[in-house]
Amino acid sequence: MVKIILLVLLSEAITVIGQILFKKSASNVGIYNLKIGGDRIRFLSKILTLPSLWLGALAMVIGLVVWLLAIAQGDLSLVFPIGSLQYILVLFLAHKFLGEKVDRMKLVGTLLVMAGIVLMSVS
Amino acid sequence: MKRNHLTLKIFCLIVLNDLIDTLAQVLMKKGLVQTGIDSVNLGNIVQFAVKNASSPFLWLGIFVFALNFFVWIVILYKVDLSIAMPVGSFCYIFVPLCAMLFLHESISLIRWIGIICIILGIHFVAQSKKPAEAELQANG
Repeated sequence: MVKIILLVLLSEAITVIGQILFKKSASNVGIYNLKIGGDRIRFLSKILTLPSLWLGALAMVIGLVVWLLAIAQGDLSLVFPIGSLQYILVLFLAHKFLGEKVDRMKLVGTLLVMAGIVLMSVS
Repeated sequence: MKRNHLTLKIFCLIVLNDLIDTLAQVLMKKGLVQTGIDSVNLGNIVQFAVKNASSPFLWLGIFVFALNFFVWIVILYKVDLSIAMPVGSFCYIFVPLCAMLFLHESISLIRWIGIICIILGIHFVAQSKKPAEAELQANG
C-alpha cells in the first residue's frame, strides 16, 4: 500500500515536471500568430527544436511508465484520489517556476476539481 | 500584451484535447485486447510486444496521441498551465456522462456530487482574475 502511494506520488511529480517543461517551451518559443498557416508551421518547427520540450516529453514517458506500474498493482479507488494531488502540485510549481498568479478563485476551483475526482473514484 | 486567461475558444480546445485523448486511449486498449493475451509476464512479454507492434490500432492510437500533443502545446502557448490543467479535468465528467447517455448506465448520487464539484471547480478557475483586470485594480 505504501509502495503504491509512493509510486503514484512519484509518477505525479515526474508528470508535473514534464508539464512545467512543456509550458516553459511554449513560453520561450517567441511570438507567432497562430491564425496564419505559415506561422503555425514556423511555431511547431521552432518548438520542436527546444531541448526543454524533449526533456518534458522524456519526463512524461517516465511518468506514464511509473503510473502504469502503480495502476497494475493498486486499486483504482486508491490510485485516482492520490493522483488528483497533481492539481495542487501544478498550482504550486507553476507559481514557483513559471511565475503564474494564484488567486483565491484558482485555488478554490482547483480544490473543488480535486474533491470531485475523489468523489468520482471512491464510489 | 499576450493574453493568458481562458477564453471560450481555448476552453473548446481543451475539451477537444480531452476528447482526442479519450479516443487514443480507446484505440490503444482495443489494440491491447486484440493480442488475446490476458496477463503479461517475463515469458510472453516479447510475444506481447510483437503482437502489439503489428496491430494497426496501437499505431493509430500513438498517432492520435502525437496529434493531440500539438493541440496541448497550442493550449499552453495561449493559457497558464495552472488554468489548463484543472480545466482539462473535463474528461472526468465526460466519460460517465457519455456512459449514462449512450450506454444507459446509472450514476450514483455521490458521483453526481463529484460531477457538480468538478464543474464548479472549472467555473471558479475560469473566473480567476484576468491579467488586465488585475492590472487595473493595481493601478486604481
